[in-house]
Amino acid sequence: MKFLLSLAWKNLSRYRRRTTITAVALAVGVAVFIWMDGWLLGAELESRRNIIWYEAGAAKVLNQEYLEQIQNLPLKQVVEDAAGVERALASLGLEATRRAVFSGELFLGEGSLFVKAVALDPATDGRVFRLQETVRQGRFLQTGEPETLLGEWLARDLGAAVGDWVTVRARSRFGAFQTLDLQIVGILNCPNPVINQGTIFLPLDLADQALELEGAVSEIALAFPEWQEPEARLGQIRRALAGFPELAVADWQELARDFLAIAEGKRAGTGMLLLLIFIIAAVGISNTMLMAVYERVREIGMMRALGMRDLSIRLAFLLEAGGIGLIGSALGLVLGAALNWYMVRWGLDLSAFIGDMQVGYRVHSVFRSAWHPQALVGAVVFGVLASMLISFIPSSRALRKRITDCLRHV
Amino acid sequence: MIRVDKVTKEYRTDHTAVRALRGVSLEIRAGEFMAIAGPSGSGKTTLLNLIGCLDVPSTGEIYIAGEAVSGKSRIELATLRRQKLGFVFQTFNLIPVLSAYENVSFALSLLGVDGRELRERTLRALKEVGLAGLEKRKPGELSGGQQQRVAIARALVKEPQILLADEPTANLDSDTGREILDLMAALNQTHGTTFVFSTHDPMVMELAHRLVMLHDGAIR
Repeated sequence: MKFLLSLAWKNLSRYRRRTTITAVALAVGVAVFIWMDGWLLGAELESRRNIIWYEAGAAKVLNQEYLEQIQNLPLKQVVEDAAGVERALASLGLEATRRAVFSGELFLGEGSLFVKAVALDPATDGRVFRLQETVRQGRFLQTGEPETLLGEWLARDLGAAVGDWVTVRARSRFGAFQTLDLQIVGILNCPNPVINQGTIFLPLDLADQALELEGAVSEIALAFPEWQEPEARLGQIRRALAGFPELAVADWQELARDFLAIAEGKRAGTGMLLLLIFIIAAVGISNTMLMAVYERVREIGMMRALGMRDLSIRLAFLLEAGGIGLIGSALGLVLGAALNWYMVRWGLDLSAFIGDMQVGYRVHSVFRSAWHPQALVGAVVFGVLASMLISFIPSSRALRKRITDCLRHV
Repeated sequence: MIRVDKVTKEYRTDHTAVRALRGVSLEIRAGEFMAIAGPSGSGKTTLLNLIGCLDVPSTGEIYIAGEAVSGKSRIELATLRRQKLGFVFQTFNLIPVLSAYENVSFALSLLGVDGRELRERTLRALKEVGLAGLEKRKPGELSGGQQQRVAIARALVKEPQILLADEPTANLDSDTGREILDLMAALNQTHGTTFVFSTHDPMVMELAHRLVMLHDGAIR
């Protein structure tokens, strides 16, 4: 084995240029894999956090019918007894806040656009959401005041500023049109682009009055002390709400199905791209090993003549290919880790691209990667094993030849 | 030591069949220094390959140390070659990335010899062929004659019963060829190893203790 290892290593230096080119091709594949995997993971983790902190909470209690039509934000299907629900949940020690969500047309000057309006309780919203921390200009909402908060991008699109008055026209719970005149008291720069792009916020008591909610709300958002284990929590909540058969509990994953679908799609798409990169690297390795075997057919014949077993010869080529794989993967690991470090530390500012479009991820501007140790190890192991596997075919072909034919090979 | 019994060898291509050997029978005794000679295409390399278990006869049988070769598996044949046979090729067939020492020790490591014994036997073999001090040189840094000496050391280091040499002087100038032949003759005397050559070199024929002439695949 020691001899085979030594032979494999020396053969790697025999065709230095070819080995280098092949190893570099593999290194690029491994590095791109590490970089993209870390990027996607970072985007997913940040999106998940931003969904929970700014959009969905850990879970929401909603009317079952509302949940089924949640895209339309119907005010007819509501949680009637919000106080009762909160009492039922009190024993679980969960933080909760009420919200009423509806769609409306926002007027500023001569322009208008449709927005999602979220009426929140300024006193309790911070228990579940972190919206208050994202106010960049002005201040947060106050109960009982006709005021609103706008996302930065929405404000920019409207040309709105703190102090401006806007009018929101929406249908009340019973279908009547109502208008609310609201003063912009703050501009949000939320890390969640969905909030920044098309959502406005107003005090819940104001919406309750204007939209005839009579204490009902669209949803009661919840914060889990440990949102990593939602399944057990959801079970507890459902049991606590057994007396409210019309209500449903949905965790953030159900509420952000669009994100999960897009994330999964992107993973699959990226997987295809990475597969393509690895195929290119594999073709390089295959070509190198094919050439290496072809050029050494006579040497293989000599080894067999001297009584070296086929298995040992095959192993020698496997080790040689594994050596290329190891060099390439190690290079790729260093390069990929360096790229990933930059992406974790500094990230990539894509605000110029995602300001006006939905990319699915709830990342505002700077995409930061995350470290994924399994991917780092996996990429190297895959690089080495795939290289070894690829060498199997040309070495098998040479070993199928008769020894005398190998010795005659020119 | 070696018995070749009515051996034939036929090579088939897509449209034709070539009979390289036509019922060759031959006995080689232990310690012989023997040459198989004949013009190109007479079948001498084919016969040497069959004796060396590098190929199998179409019909007939070959016995090495009383053991029939036919019917042996690839692994058994490899073991036989590893333990009992040594080879010297016309084109040396050294591994270019390995030093002279490593090329020779390679044959020993196939037998599982390692450590001090491997080192001592390798250095002794290289010394015997006159390459002491050149152990670290790679084949590309050695002359043709020196490369063939490394090949001989590689064949002899494992102390085989039979050493088969396919036209060992064909790629050497006459002086170097003579030196190599003298070396092999001396080793034959010292070790008692059986040497079988294929050749069409008159110098080899002259030095051989016994000459077998092949013509059109048959012994004349």
